[in-house]
Amino acid sequence: MTREQELTTVFVEVADSLIDDFDLIDFLHRLSVRCVELLDVSACGVLLADEQDVLQVLAASDEHTRLLELFALQHDQGPCVECYQSGQPRINISLGNPDVAQRWPQFTPIARQAGFLSTNAIPLRLRGRVIGALGLFQTKDNTLSDADTTLAQALADMATIAILQQRTLAHSETERGQLQYALTSRIVLEQVKGILAERWQVSTDEAFAAFRTYARSHHHQLSRLARQIADGEFDTDQIPHSRRAHR
Amino acid sequence: MAEVLRLLQLHDGFDNATHVAARAAEALGADGLAVSLATAGERAELMWCSDDSAARFEELQFTLGEGPGPEAVRSGETVLVPDLSRVRHQRWPALGMEAAELEARAVFCFPMGIGAIRVGLLTAVRRIPGPMTDEQLGDAHLLAHALTGRALGDSPRLDDDLSAGSARTLLHAIVHQATGMVSVQLAVSLPQALLRLRAHAYSSGRSLTDISRDVVARRLRLDNNGNGTPVPVADKD
Repeated sequence: MTREQELTTVFVEVADSLIDDFDLIDFLHRLSVRCVELLDVSACGVLLADEQDVLQVLAASDEHTRLLELFALQHDQGPCVECYQSGQPRINISLGNPDVAQRWPQFTPIARQAGFLSTNAIPLRLRGRVIGALGLFQTKDNTLSDADTTLAQALADMATIAILQQRTLAHSETERGQLQYALTSRIVLEQVKGILAERWQVSTDEAFAAFRTYARSHHHQLSRLARQIADGEFDTDQIPHSRRAHR
Repeated sequence: MAEVLRLLQLHDGFDNATHVAARAAEALGADGLAVSLATAGERAELMWCSDDSAARFEELQFTLGEGPGPEAVRSGETVLVPDLSRVRHQRWPALGMEAAELEARAVFCFPMGIGAIRVGLLTAVRRIPGPMTDEQLGDAHLLAHALTGRALGDSPRLDDDLSAGSARTLLHAIVHQATGMVSVQLAVSLPQALLRLRAHAYSSGRSLTDISRDVVARRLRLDNNGNGTPVPVADKD
């Protein structure tokens, strides 16, 4: 597929989701995967600021706990925080640069250990303020062009639109209510990963994969199904899963 | 609001509650403020209130089982009602009949909790209808967040790594995952599971995130006595 064809596909996919009753976390996960493909980066995460102005991970291109933790590390240092505070994108930051390592002493070595060579942060903008950041990581030795940066900003804007567009249980009418709901949904999902992992005696990553496959194939929204499981209102034996023979 | 949060920090438990609640109400531009803690089911227990009007409204909606409070508790979302007289009758029919007797004309409900853990509800009432400003809404969320920590037993003596409600703890997916796992292992509720994890972190002198990593990796299993048993290596995958 040419890039133009790819873009068309993504555009149609996003528009289709946004007019429907979509699940925000699942949508942002898919969008993160598209960012990885379109921008030719290795990993992507969507971070949203909570009521204390601390960045929290809402979704990432892959759900492995290790990647989620790397994004979580950027709550008090790293390009995403700087981008969130300044409202300006931070592009092509080389993690091998000694100045970078000095500036973010905790973040840089862990990102490098994970195999990343460079990183980028794009603001999630909303009417003159910034509500979060899109973080991009690269394992290859290539950089984002100006055109890539423009595209990345458009994808970040789509994430913002989706966050404000989600239909919440209580039909929250304020922006703040929408942001809060998104953050809570993410936490419920993590709690449910733990519940399922222990019930099935598998890893949390495996538990989530089985859970997501089930939710998608049965047209359940991830967040709603997760809430039902956490509240004990859904029989999780219905979800096909592998179980360790013995431990 | 900074002052109110400092007062909350200074006092263990809910001493001086009426005083702090009154200051908080003032900061939020509300006439009354009430904090209820979730007990079993959707019934909430009043813990903290600034005056009778807030307490009466809170009591009424939980007796009737309907209203912005029960709705906020059920959905885990903020429910804002800037003018009670303009709410469709069908939304809360019984409350509509009774509310005319009350002084409250506007009600704002903020759930307290962490993900699926619901610990209670912060309710602000006003005698004159009108919306909260964006700043007041932000402050109310901050207060609900601080109260969540307190309801889960955070005290000023705990350092930040152990506080259930601290921003640093909330960041870590691993803590939420471990909470879910422990709730199944010990057959306890999610809030209890979080408290067990924290108690273990506290007694072993390690951070909540470290303990959670061990639990999720199945290097550590908590038992019902609050002790942690390292999982023998042979049992691991």
